[in-house]
Amino acid sequence: MERFHEILQNRHEYARAWKKKTGGKVIGYYEPYMPEEIVYAAGALPVRLLSQHEPDDTTDRQMYGNCACSRDILNQFIKGRYDYIDGLINAEGCQWMLNAFQTTLNNQPELFNHYIFVPDYVDGKTSKDVMRSELVVFKKAVENWMGKPINDSDLDRAIEVYNTNRRLMRQVYELRRADNPVVLGSEAMEMVLASQVMDKTEMNKILEDAIAKLANRKPRTDTGVRLMLVGSPTSDVALEELVESLGANVVIDEVCTGSCYFWNEVIPQTNRLMAISLRYLGRPHCALKDNNWRRRPAHIHQLYEDYQAQGVIIAKQIYCHPHGTDNPLIWKILRERNIPFHYFERDMTLPYEETRLRLEAFINMLKPMLVLK
Amino acid sequence: MSKQKWETRPLEVWNKAKEMRAKWQKSIDTASSERVLLAQGNCQWSIGFPALRVIEDNPVGAMMANKSDEFARVSRLAGEIIGWGREICGYQLNCWGAMYLGHQIDGSPFPLRDLVIPFSDPCDQHTKRGQAPMDYSPIPRFQENYPLYTGPQDPNRDKTMIEDKVYTTLYIIAEIERIFGQKFDDERFVASVKVSGGITPYAQEVSRFMQHIPSPLSQKDLYSFYTLGGLTKGDPGETVAIWKALRDEVEWRVQNNIAAVGNERFRWMEAHPPPWHFLKYYRYMEKYGAVCIGSQYSHMMAGPMELKKDGTWGPRFSGGGFGRTIDRPIKTREDAIRVMLGTEARGHRFKDDEVIRPWALDDFAKAYKADGAILPLWRCGVGCTVTRKEQGLRLSEMGVRVLHYEGSQPGDRTDLDENRLFDQLDVWMESQGLRKLED
Ligand code: SF4
Ligand code: SF4
Repeated sequence: MERFHEILQNRHEYARAWKKKTGGKVIGYYEPYMPEEIVYAAGALPVRLLSQHEPDDTTDRQMYGNCACSRDILNQFIKGRYDYIDGLINAEGCQWMLNAFQTTLNNQPELFNHYIFVPDYVDGKTSKDVMRSELVVFKKAVENWMGKPINDSDLDRAIEVYNTNRRLMRQVYELRRADNPVVLGSEAMEMVLASQVMDKTEMNKILEDAIAKLANRKPRTDTGVRLMLVGSPTSDVALEELVESLGANVVIDEVCTGSCYFWNEVIPQTNRLMAISLRYLGRPHCALKDNNWRRRPAHIHQLYEDYQAQGVIIAKQIYCHPHGTDNPLIWKILRERNIPFHYFERDMTLPYEETRLRLEAFINMLKPMLVLK
Repeated sequence: MSKQKWETRPLEVWNKAKEMRAKWQKSIDTASSERVLLAQGNCQWSIGFPALRVIEDNPVGAMMANKSDEFARVSRLAGEIIGWGREICGYQLNCWGAMYLGHQIDGSPFPLRDLVIPFSDPCDQHTKRGQAPMDYSPIPRFQENYPLYTGPQDPNRDKTMIEDKVYTTLYIIAEIERIFGQKFDDERFVASVKVSGGITPYAQEVSRFMQHIPSPLSQKDLYSFYTLGGLTKGDPGETVAIWKALRDEVEWRVQNNIAAVGNERFRWMEAHPPPWHFLKYYRYMEKYGAVCIGSQYSHMMAGPMELKKDGTWGPRFSGGGFGRTIDRPIKTREDAIRVMLGTEARGHRFKDDEVIRPWALDDFAKAYKADGAILPLWRCGVGCTVTRKEQGLRLSEMGVRVLHYEGSQPGDRTDLDENRLFDQLDVWMESQGLRKLED
């Protein structure tokens, strides 16, 4: 567990050390639709660009109205924190991230870069063909840049590493379903976040070890109210820790940097790129792409039931229009199903006192449910 | 008051444009009593369904902001109550807020939509558009992709992306036929595509005439026309005719130096929509002899334009039609759709035009000899604010003087400090050595 914490806290140092050790290249990416398997198969390290709690004193000249996540990534680039990044990929998600991608490139045009169009209509009949065609072009671009072809066995190996990681993470999440879980919400989220900035082969080894240790942990009887977290992506565990300090525990999340990151696997097929396309299009919908056949409400409800949550926290980034636009339906569904929820907006950092006060009130309101359990 | 340099006159075709817009508005208002289908969204092929009318929430929201701030405000509040944040586009909050309230500005019932065909091109908020009426009724919604790619031209990428759009469009039409029992009139559609293709060349010429000094039209004039044939639908023949009439009149104005602003001495440009409730600032700038020559947004019917190597301002795509290459005779539904969509997907999406073609605004400034640029910063805007600051920096480096002002969104008055904007304009003009010519 400590290792995940350490890596997440020192993710830049981790990537620099990886580079030094392997002589490989590091690719930064912005959106959860980036097909990491292709980058990994090429021998490079895909790293999700995560925001960090740091004063933003650089992006004002170039950005206005962006969400804090996208702003902070640019902030970190300008400050040189990402000096180890060799390439940038944007697999189209939201426009603020596309903006962060393009603006960073305007500042650092020497970086290898590629834009992958990802259908808005992820369930569309021809969308998988568009995605596959985009992956063909992307694979070629990576091959040219790396100077070597990516063959099927490379892809198979990468898919296996990634699928293993997904399965292991699901195992960790399964442990959270127990009445008395052995793993806390903050610990689980720290694992998922760390997995997005780590070499997955190494991650898998540590993860197997961690799961074995968790099996020997004593189930906790003190975790209190069971909560579900929904909303904009997060890049740290401050919220989970705050919840834990108030006598509650986040037992499940529907967050793009949380469970959505590893929930589904690549189902192998001869056409590897089609298999990868289907995996990414079939992942739990992000708010922006949950636009025709709505899957988020049903998915949220299923997770809520499966993990026996007693309430939902919806935490939205200020200026996050995908979640801002999706909220009314999520609220509606939760209300219709008598699911208590607390909605709030967060900025770059979590305003501690204010958030604590609000969450405390919400959790206190739910405490009688512990008696009913 | 100084002596006027150039003659000015009102535009003669203006009344006709007003009439066409009013007719379109009426057709929306009476849709339910006429028992025709009303769709939220935007699509060029809707004419094939004689009993289908299509309307975007953008013009509805903008019109609400322009006509009644009070009603727009109440509607936005209704939107907030059901869960939208304040940073959600004001067009959407105005329009769907009124749906929750159940009535329009004049108290008449809100025309409920029967289906949704979202137009995801312009910005992320458009991608999510139409979910409110879908969740409210519920009604069918037909999503499309707006694929694009960057980098060198790639015929395979073009093909896959265009095929996706062709397939989806054919699918949506077939689904509307199936679900609503309406017959798509292929002949009418094909005929309209043939005719509508004629708008673009006229719109391009009008755009080019705006390069003239003095500018024959100003931004305010353009706003009377820029949606005709796009968001404002009408009879295709009539629409082409008005664009031709506009082109002819503007050509005549250029030949005779008829100006939009009689004392033009400062040319400024914009980016994206203005605050629709506060269009006074155009007139205010005229007191300084400053004319607004438009924006990429108000020139949109011309299609994407670019500065050619020889310095001319021309369409980015060759061929006629919708500013793109026509590679086939137009006989069937599919031919017509293909012509509408063109053959190229590279870098063509309104949504990200300014993100992936950052030089487009520089070209616009050069082409129209802009001395200044007023670039709003919309706190609740996505597509209309993304990269605005960077563009300001680039224009400044080119010697174009830039003014930013802040507001909520073109359809949302909340954050716009009108007096401050006037002060900003005075300071901006005076800092460039210009004083009011009249008061
Ligand atoms: S927080 Fe929301 S707006 Fe910001 S990058 Fe993520 S999805 Fe986009
Ligand atoms: S570009 Fe701006 S005004 Fe237009 S829909 Fe998007 S947010 Fe609204």
